[in-house]
Amino acid sequence: MEKYLYVALFAPVVGSLFSLLFTAKKKNVITALVTSALLLLSFVSSLTLMFAVHDGLTLHVKLMDWISAGNLNIPFGFMVDNVSVIMMVTVTLVSSVVNIYSMGYMMHDKGYNRFFTYISAFVFAMLVLVMSDNFVGLFIGWEGVGLCSYLLIGFWYEKDTASWAGNEAFIMNRVADLGMLMGLFLIYWQFGTFDYETIFAHAGSMNVSVVATIGLLLFIGAMGKSAQFPFHTWLADAMEGPTPVSALIHAATMVTAGVYLVIRASDLFSLIPEVGHIIATLGAFVAVFAASMALVHRDLKKIIAYSTLSQLGYMFVAAGLGAYWIALFHLMTHAFFKSLLFLGAGNIMHAMDDELDIKKMGGLFKVMPYTAILMAVASFALCGVYPFAGFFSKDKILEAAFNGSNFYIWFALFIGAGMTAFYSFRLIMLVFFGDKVYKKLGFHPHETYPFVLWSLLPLGILSTIAGFFEKPFEAFVTRVLSKYEFSLSHSTEVELIFLTSAFVILVIVATIYKYYKGGFSKQIETMPLYILLKNQYYIPKLYEVAIFKPYYVLSRFAWKQIDVRIIDFSVDLIAKVFYKSGQESRKMQSGNLSDMLRWMIVGTVVLLALAIFYRPMM
Amino acid sequence: MEHILSLIVFFPLVAVFFGFIVSKESAKTFGVTVALVEFLLSIVLWIGFDKSNAGFQFVEYVPLISQFGVSYYLGVDGISLFLVILSTFMTLVSLISLNIKKDIKNLVITILFLEMTLVGVFLSLDMILFYIFWELSLIPMLYIIGAWGSGQRIYAAIKFFLYTFAGSALMLVGILYLGYQYYIATGTWSFSIPDWYLLVLPFSTQLWLFGAFFLAFAVKVPMFPFHTWLPYAHGQAPTVGSILLAAVMLKMGTYAFIRFSLPLFPDASVYFLYPVAIIAIIMVIYASMVAYAQEDMKQVIAYSSISHMGIIVLGTFAMNAEGITGAIFLMLSHGIVSGALFMLVGVIYDRRHTKMISEFGGLATIMPRYAAIFGVVMMAAVGLPLTVGFVGEFLSLLGFYRVNWFMTLLAGTGIILGAVYMLVLFKRAFFGKLVKAENKALKDLDKREFTALIPLVALVVVLGVYPKPILNTIDISVKKMIVLMEKKAVLPDTRELLLRVNSVGGTK
Repeated sequence: MEKYLYVALFAPVVGSLFSLLFTAKKKNVITALVTSALLLLSFVSSLTLMFAVHDGLTLHVKLMDWISAGNLNIPFGFMVDNVSVIMMVTVTLVSSVVNIYSMGYMMHDKGYNRFFTYISAFVFAMLVLVMSDNFVGLFIGWEGVGLCSYLLIGFWYEKDTASWAGNEAFIMNRVADLGMLMGLFLIYWQFGTFDYETIFAHAGSMNVSVVATIGLLLFIGAMGKSAQFPFHTWLADAMEGPTPVSALIHAATMVTAGVYLVIRASDLFSLIPEVGHIIATLGAFVAVFAASMALVHRDLKKIIAYSTLSQLGYMFVAAGLGAYWIALFHLMTHAFFKSLLFLGAGNIMHAMDDELDIKKMGGLFKVMPYTAILMAVASFALCGVYPFAGFFSKDKILEAAFNGSNFYIWFALFIGAGMTAFYSFRLIMLVFFGDKVYKKLGFHPHETYPFVLWSLLPLGILSTIAGFFEKPFEAFVTRVLSKYEFSLSHSTEVELIFLTSAFVILVIVATIYKYYKGGFSKQIETMPLYILLKNQYYIPKLYEVAIFKPYYVLSRFAWKQIDVRIIDFSVDLIAKVFYKSGQESRKMQSGNLSDMLRWMIVGTVVLLALAIFYRPMM
Repeated sequence: MEHILSLIVFFPLVAVFFGFIVSKESAKTFGVTVALVEFLLSIVLWIGFDKSNAGFQFVEYVPLISQFGVSYYLGVDGISLFLVILSTFMTLVSLISLNIKKDIKNLVITILFLEMTLVGVFLSLDMILFYIFWELSLIPMLYIIGAWGSGQRIYAAIKFFLYTFAGSALMLVGILYLGYQYYIATGTWSFSIPDWYLLVLPFSTQLWLFGAFFLAFAVKVPMFPFHTWLPYAHGQAPTVGSILLAAVMLKMGTYAFIRFSLPLFPDASVYFLYPVAIIAIIMVIYASMVAYAQEDMKQVIAYSSISHMGIIVLGTFAMNAEGITGAIFLMLSHGIVSGALFMLVGVIYDRRHTKMISEFGGLATIMPRYAAIFGVVMMAAVGLPLTVGFVGEFLSLLGFYRVNWFMTLLAGTGIILGAVYMLVLFKRAFFGKLVKAENKALKDLDKREFTALIPLVALVVVLGVYPKPILNTIDISVKKMIVLMEKKAVLPDTRELLLRVNSVGGTK
């Protein structure tokens, strides 16, 4: 079985290196074909491993030693267990779809070959992240996906906003990574190793405050990668990248790495429920906070991006409350429907010549019915309407919040669900129905290539039916993860499900009705709340004014004033003192006899004084 | 193999004499050949090196002035081995990349002479010999900056020379005093470092001597606030000068900390741990900020060197095997990375005769290969895992965490601020639209530049993925040194700290 592990892990990197050879050359379909084939191969291997794991297998391989110094020894070790294999299958499946989809989407792009190099490199890094058997191995993947994300956000590097967004993403992630690094250091000096198994086995006997510190520090890292408040601004700006990238990296896989970290380290986090509570509270806050910004946005991709943020909040709630398998389940279903939503958005952008303003669309259903249906499916799944996938996973999170008597969290998620329903169907209505605004603006949209639509079908199907695998999924992953006990009575459970579903459907119907009638009046755009939301609570502005600009000013000050004016000036001053005193004392050597006699007398006096007063210590 | 160290030290010097009779046209070929042979010799040394032996190997000992204990004494251990290889390798690469036409013969001869002094510094086991090489290395660099530099080259060259020379003056006094101390203790004079390692000094003496040595090393590293010669030297030096200065010469200072300050004055080193760490943190943060504010590409790299040297100093003063091994590895990786970066800046300077960032933009369009290599090296500079830059930085910070977590956090901001100045530089130079007319006809890397850069890029990846053989060899010598420190320590506090930072677990 080991060979499947190696194939799954290394097939993408082979594809990446292969298309790397073509990056400086003209567009060549072979790069896309080879990378797609290798990603599919990786997917098939992962699937095979999943069935093997289902039959009770766990794989653990050590490739070679990486870093060793002092007492430290870090190997390249990989493992396949019930949790990592789920991630492997999800990642390779979505990336295969995205890769095939991109053959159409990137068809006329001059960076065609480069694009496929990056995508495969990303998949490799992501697989390293999920398959590593130690924290530093995870960190390799963690930084690797960050690098690929940076490269792909700034893919169209001639656009200033794109390269700026790439830098923002990388740097902001680095801030969080520092927290994670500190966590890693603490782990090492407490446990003497980075190996998951050893650490989890000994965590119980450690001082709780130490474990809590480790948990918090690791969570800071997770906040960066999963774009949780206050690190959330990079994700919306990351939409500068090509849309398939947004689907793969900034929705389905990379941003969920933070959730994965908490799930992976669940043996640590289950020891520290207080930290879990902080995680859940922050998650609930982000769930509502991000959804609120999606309510008013007009940018097609940014709405979906904020929706992603909000859903990540849901996942963190589940993970924080100890319902790790539910978090993983939602992570998986979300990967399916959110990437579908993004790829559908990509079709629209293509049809609309990269126009993103949803107010300029309308009535596109007639032109692109298949995309519309797929996006509607994804939206139903996102809102959690029965029988779509989101219904099963998201409802479970709300139940878990209620179960733990965290009613504030439950209520936040409940409101968040309503907001989700509103912005999702606001988007659907504005894009696909209503007035054909695009005609007035002179766009000529068209449905995309059939093979692109076919490639989306697996995601469409999974978004519809994945929820029915809830029970087998639970049984599968709770062999590794701790079980989550529901203490709610059956009737409460049914009531909760009914309440949430009714609320969501009500909001959907109301939204459809409202927009069917022509939507909101212009007046609403002058309301302070609307303006506040539209400007993303002024947080990007705040970062710019309070951090970016002062840092630059301070840096200039450090250079011009401190380095040049003070330090270097003092150094030169010392040199000048020597130089000047030499210049001045040169005058003594004037060659004038009477001057010399005068100095001779001075010398004699000094020597006499020395002879009289100086007594060497003997 | 018996005299391989002498061969490695003096082969370039012998070659220099032949260099005078080589014709001007073949001077570069001659230089590359000599550097290649020298590099191969250092590889032979590595092959012959017994990696299970932590002590000095291939030792050569010839008394010179026996009544004063001055001797010709060479030896190599895990700490110095790779610095020697780094010196020979970077000299080779920088000679390959050389494209100066003016007085090429003199330049090649100067570089080979410089190589001898660098290798000599790392291999000397006699303090007088060490001091001779240490000071001799200033002369070729003075000449390189002064004769082949640009702009205020005379000012920069003299500043470099006088500053570092003045710093070393106090070290000479320290050396003589230590020799005298040895005489008092044993009745015979000795300047040999292994002899001195056995000398247990009272705490107050250690303090004074630590201070005397510290200034010399601090100027060389360069540590804040003794760093201002560096931007001038780099700003005016030709590319080859900058490469050798950043890649190898700066390491003389940090090497000397590990070779002398820690084992000779263990108590003083522990006593000054926090002040030194604070300086190191200032170096990391302050130099990163200044680097961010620069308008000249080369100055960004110059200040980034100071920032990385800060991490090296911090790792050194972690006093544990993780930190010190990491610091030494970071010396190697910084040598490779900063050398490559200076070479890359040289590439664009040769084409456009300017280094101002604002003159560029959109270079990725016209020079994709150049941009790709720059990108890879940049990622190593910001310490991405699986590049060479990560290993040393990670270990240094990891090591110091045991000493003080808060200071590690402050120094750790280097990974953020480093990304800021590097990515911003990269964005401004390579991304965006190609607008400047002068840039539209730029040629991508040529064969000569490729030959020089590819080995560096290969090392960046290979040593990032598989640093273990190097780390193991360094580690074994470092561990031996730490044991020595523990044995020699006169204060119980020192021993306690060494014991604590070198063991895993426990409270805190």
